[in-house]
Amino acid sequence: MDELDLLKKDWKKQDADYPKLTYNEIYKLIHKKSSSVVKWIFIICIAEFLFWGGINLLIPDSYFEIYEKLHLKTIIDFTYILHYAIVIVFIYLFYKNYNAICVIDSTSLLMKNIIKTRKTVNYYVYYNIIMTIILSVIINFIMFSDAKLLVEVFNPDNKPIDADKFFNILLIAQIIGLVVMIGLLWLYYRIIYGILLKKLTDNYKELETLE
Amino acid sequence: MTKDLEHKFISEFQKNQNIIHKVCRIYTNNQEAHNDLFQEITIQLWKAYPKFRGDSKLSTWMYRIGLNTAITLYRKSKRSVITQDFDSVLHRIQSTDYDNTEEEQLKLMYKAIHQLSDIDKALIFLYLEDKNYKEISETIGISEVNARVKMNRIKTRLRTILNP
Repeated sequence: MDELDLLKKDWKKQDADYPKLTYNEIYKLIHKKSSSVVKWIFIICIAEFLFWGGINLLIPDSYFEIYEKLHLKTIIDFTYILHYAIVIVFIYLFYKNYNAICVIDSTSLLMKNIIKTRKTVNYYVYYNIIMTIILSVIINFIMFSDAKLLVEVFNPDNKPIDADKFFNILLIAQIIGLVVMIGLLWLYYRIIYGILLKKLTDNYKELETLE
Repeated sequence: MTKDLEHKFISEFQKNQNIIHKVCRIYTNNQEAHNDLFQEITIQLWKAYPKFRGDSKLSTWMYRIGLNTAITLYRKSKRSVITQDFDSVLHRIQSTDYDNTEEEQLKLMYKAIHQLSDIDKALIFLYLEDKNYKEISETIGISEVNARVKMNRIKTRLRTILNP
């Protein structure tokens, strides 16, 4: 007999062999907490929304005073309003995609919807990074275009300093900050995708190559 | 209302729980993993149950959620699981019904299945459950033609694993 037929024969016999759970055991089971990928993605996405949405609130007030002195307040206020409008759009898209995840769909559709939901949040993070970069370029441009004012603001006591050296330090500090931020983000995404989504994306790719 | 639904679900589940055991059999190879996956599938079934309309068979609905959980949603967890005695199941192969060659062949067969990819496991599971290609293609979300091609490849692969 062919091995597959043998397997099928054996497969059909196994029904009687599994332990039957009692009513109470099933009751206990359904009240346990799920550890599904979707649940984790949901938690992580919400955390990302809160992190990027709240990061502005961490900026100390003294910064705003500096911005005000540098005549940057209008541009900062404008970008804040724009930023929160965009955040709301992202939250709506996330909610819409998350709601579309349905465990009764076919395997490939389910995977597609999970990946789509996750991608929405990725775009949200990309948006934040790009926005940060653009904004710092604009602010730097404005700041450095009026060097006298800049030195005044950062050196209110008018201590004797080397202006060139001061600008270099300011610029290098900003670049280091940016590199560290991008490095941390890269690490974070390696972890998220490595641990959480590798299996899912691999399986999805297998289905995609099939079609 | 929730109590009614809960009662209805548990009674239905009790009658069909073998389906879940069989999914776990294909996707896991030890008792602890089996129980953990069983638990996650049960939770997913219960979460989806309020939306179950009864327009498809409950068993079909269970196949889908079972496989989707195993392939897509499930992550090994560190939570403690309800332990049950699966030893009888796992060692049943050694019972006297089989002669040694058959027993050996089956062991190899299950070992070979555990080496397949998650998607291939789903196909072989549905094949063992006597599902037709239409149902297989709908469950996985691929075309019927591709399901056939893929199934033939898996069968060939299993045969070559067993007869190198």
